[in-house]
Amino acid sequence: MQQFVQYTILGLVLGGVYFIAASGLVVTYTTSGIFNFSQGAIAMLAAFTYWQLRWGWGWPAPIALLVVLGVLAPALGAVLYQVVMKNLRGTSEVTKIVVSVGVMLGFLALATWVWNPTASSPRNFQKFFGANAIVEIFGVRITWHEIISFVLALGIAAGIRFLFVRTRSGVAMRAVVDDPELLELNGGRPERLATISWAGGAFLAALAGILITPITGSSMSANALTLLVIDAFAAAMFGRLKSLPRTFVGAIVLGLTNYYVVAYFPSSWTWTSAFRQSIPMIMLFIILIILPQDRLRGTTVLRTRERFHMPTMRTAWIAALVLVVVMFSLQTIMQPSPMKTLAYGMTLAMIALSLVLLTGLAGEINLAALSFGAIGTIVVFHFGTTGSGLDARMTLWGIVLASLVCAVVGAVVALPALRLRGLYLALATMAFGVFVSKMVLSEGNPRRLFGRDFTIFPGGTLRIPRPKIGPVDFNSDKAFLTLVTVLFALLAIGLVAIRHSGYGRRLAAMKDSPAACATLGMSVVRLKLSVFMLSAAVAGLGGVLMSAQLGAVSAERFDIFLSLSLLMVTVVGGIGYASGALLAGLFLGCSLLAMTNTLTKLGADYASIQAIFAFMISAVTVLPATIGITMGKNPSGAVTDIVKGLNDIKQARPLMFTIIGFEVGIWLLTATDVLTNWNFVILTAINLLVVPPLGGAIMKKRAYAKAGVAPPTPAEFIGIDRAYTQLDLDEMESVLGFDALGVAAPVLHEGEPAHAPA
Amino acid sequence: MSTNISASHFSSHDGNGPLLELAGVRASYGPIEVLHGVDLVVPQGSVVALLGPNGAGKSTILKVCSGLLQPTAGEVRVAGRVINGATADQLARLGLCTIPEGKGVFPNLTVRENLWMATMAGVSLSDVEEIAYARFPRLGERRKQLAGTMSGGEQQMLSMARALSVNPALLLLDELSMGLAPLVVANLYEIVAQVSEEGVSILVSEQFARTVLGIAHYAAIVLHGNVTRVGTPAELEDELSAAYLGS
Repeated sequence: MQQFVQYTILGLVLGGVYFIAASGLVVTYTTSGIFNFSQGAIAMLAAFTYWQLRWGWGWPAPIALLVVLGVLAPALGAVLYQVVMKNLRGTSEVTKIVVSVGVMLGFLALATWVWNPTASSPRNFQKFFGANAIVEIFGVRITWHEIISFVLALGIAAGIRFLFVRTRSGVAMRAVVDDPELLELNGGRPERLATISWAGGAFLAALAGILITPITGSSMSANALTLLVIDAFAAAMFGRLKSLPRTFVGAIVLGLTNYYVVAYFPSSWTWTSAFRQSIPMIMLFIILIILPQDRLRGTTVLRTRERFHMPTMRTAWIAALVLVVVMFSLQTIMQPSPMKTLAYGMTLAMIALSLVLLTGLAGEINLAALSFGAIGTIVVFHFGTTGSGLDARMTLWGIVLASLVCAVVGAVVALPALRLRGLYLALATMAFGVFVSKMVLSEGNPRRLFGRDFTIFPGGTLRIPRPKIGPVDFNSDKAFLTLVTVLFALLAIGLVAIRHSGYGRRLAAMKDSPAACATLGMSVVRLKLSVFMLSAAVAGLGGVLMSAQLGAVSAERFDIFLSLSLLMVTVVGGIGYASGALLAGLFLGCSLLAMTNTLTKLGADYASIQAIFAFMISAVTVLPATIGITMGKNPSGAVTDIVKGLNDIKQARPLMFTIIGFEVGIWLLTATDVLTNWNFVILTAINLLVVPPLGGAIMKKRAYAKAGVAPPTPAEFIGIDRAYTQLDLDEMESVLGFDALGVAAPVLHEGEPAHAPA
Repeated sequence: MSTNISASHFSSHDGNGPLLELAGVRASYGPIEVLHGVDLVVPQGSVVALLGPNGAGKSTILKVCSGLLQPTAGEVRVAGRVINGATADQLARLGLCTIPEGKGVFPNLTVRENLWMATMAGVSLSDVEEIAYARFPRLGERRKQLAGTMSGGEQQMLSMARALSVNPALLLLDELSMGLAPLVVANLYEIVAQVSEEGVSILVSEQFARTVLGIAHYAAIVLHGNVTRVGTPAELEDELSAAYLGS
């Protein structure tokens, strides 16, 4: 009995903290329509900052709390909204998810940058008033920290409810979601309300972070702390991101289950600990499936800002051919180590291709692409290899089987989630991904199944050999790189072919309006299921090849944060194009590594300024997230800009031939060992990044000279390069709106020195 | 700047000058210009109807007047003051009331909460509720119901209740009749006529010309982003079909 009371109280406390985190989600979602994936990361940052102030610098607790909760957290939330989230109006669900995921990854990178995870002394995060401030209730010992946590949760529940129902500002916050324009017409200020609510949401996240860290007694690890608050997603979804009372119930159930599992599961069950960690995600999945969701509505079709053009089959073939040729010429000059990196990047690109198919074409979202890769890898490990030791090879049969199994698993995940769209589907796949990481990939020990011993992930590391298909052996780095490049090219062509087929058009139609598709007699269910299976198969194939490239893989290679990074970078590259996937894979797999390696090498060579290079390495780890955050400004992806640039170069024939000529020259010099690999990379970068704008400027100047017209002066050089005219003055007047104010426009007299009106 | 205009300026303006004036207004959505130099005058205390076919630019004119869309050229004047650059919420607090196209209600708020939002224009909730429920008893019965669950007519009543209760100097109505039964539309326009009798100046856009001509003092025909003709309803009666059918 005493055990029951003890665990009930602990469960209530944990549930209370979950509620605080979930309520922050509800507040921000209610007012801005953006589900804040970075909630967990904000909580984590707050916990670290509080630790730094309280124990790192020894500030008194009240002051540290005031600074973190009263100043820093709300400011962070407000800035986040003003700088990032505000730009997300009119973008698709995918972009919204990716941007807030980008913020989360950015905060994670920032935390590992500032607070070195391999610090010599472990960070000790204590409860309020210390761990010994204990009272006894019903014969059970509870710390003051736990009492404070629960009381705060109750207070916040009451407070937010009061705000949303009984105050005009609170009701106005709810009105913002319905129709911000109408609120403006009523005399409200939607922007201000949203900013305030983001400040509030960040405050709640920070509070949850500070409360939960000592309760769970986990180490101060950025990833673990972030996931801890992500567990609160289940509670928020139970309240359908709207109802606070339901969110409270969900949070409490979550907290209680967590402790009852510890208390009452037989100790002989070795999987209890892993199960306990996955409870929130299992509950999230179940809640998403069971709870009634919004009906299909015809009116949900919004005009989004994303624009994707359909490449022709001819373009696809040419691009694929160029890719294969480029890769082939590269591998003839490359050393083995960069070639490995390149092959890794290509396999990641293949996984990213599965996202292009799913998200770019069909508008569905999968946040756990690498989890399918993990499943494929496990299948190949057990059933798809022949030989042993150095002679071990992956069989074609194994690769096919892995893709098929992934397709089936994809169907199993998608089938219950078929009704879900957008955010809900995204969360369901995330729950699946975390579940795979925590329950499947942690199965390092043998288990007795159907009367025979079987280990899913023996020893936590799987050795995956390179494939041998028929007589062709792909064991060498060169052969393997060629294999993945050709496979990627073929899959990319297949993707464009799908887009041009009737099936692809149906997918595009479903993306725009499932309701309209249903009325046309299409089976939306069959479409969704098939595209999810196809995408899972591609992800599995990519994952298997990735594992083969790495040789030995551990569970961290399939981490949910990696899946999220990949999705984010793909969206940044251009989720509508195969080239976007290529860009994403190469960026995540090669560029980052290349930059880090270059900087490390430079740091070793110039030891005196090594600190500067160390700083730059940390900055590089934050880079992808920073790019992701700016997505709101250009939601169609970088490929759109690159293609535009390429078209411009194609128009300017001399420039195009110059660039190609230079590149061939550099390649020849490298092939004849005149240039080293490093110089090749640097010269290529210069050729691709510096020559086009330079050549463009020269050609433009020539064109002006040919036409006999003076080029237009940039605004800042008016009055310096050429005289100030009445025309300029008039333009400034109209830009500043002086005529509307009724101020008489000054007239510039000939010969007088020109000066701007005050 | 325009923020200096006080509510009293809007309402205590001497009766002779126009309350709302558009001079050479141009406006565009992105690169596409939809208003090509609109001139329009709403005299103090009068009802002016904007008539014209779908896509002529009626709603855009109202958007510019309400501050939701900034004109790219020209001037919008209220009570003689230029209001270019003022935002919609500033204008709303200064005595301009706009009922937008479609259902001007917050569907996930209750009737009472919807009325509460109207108080941001500077009136008390009890006054708003009293006026609204007296005028539309049906709203009083449903004060705790979510606005989105009411019928289209009831929702339009709710949005009109705001126009009645915030005591505006200028009322902008966009496509009041959209998607509603003729009987409901007739009722709504009766109310508009009463509001007008209290001295409120009204600019109303309407695709179905006949429904509004009965109460309008003046009408303006909008075609292809221009005001092509202004006159009394009687004067315009004959030209209407030509405008709509494009003869």
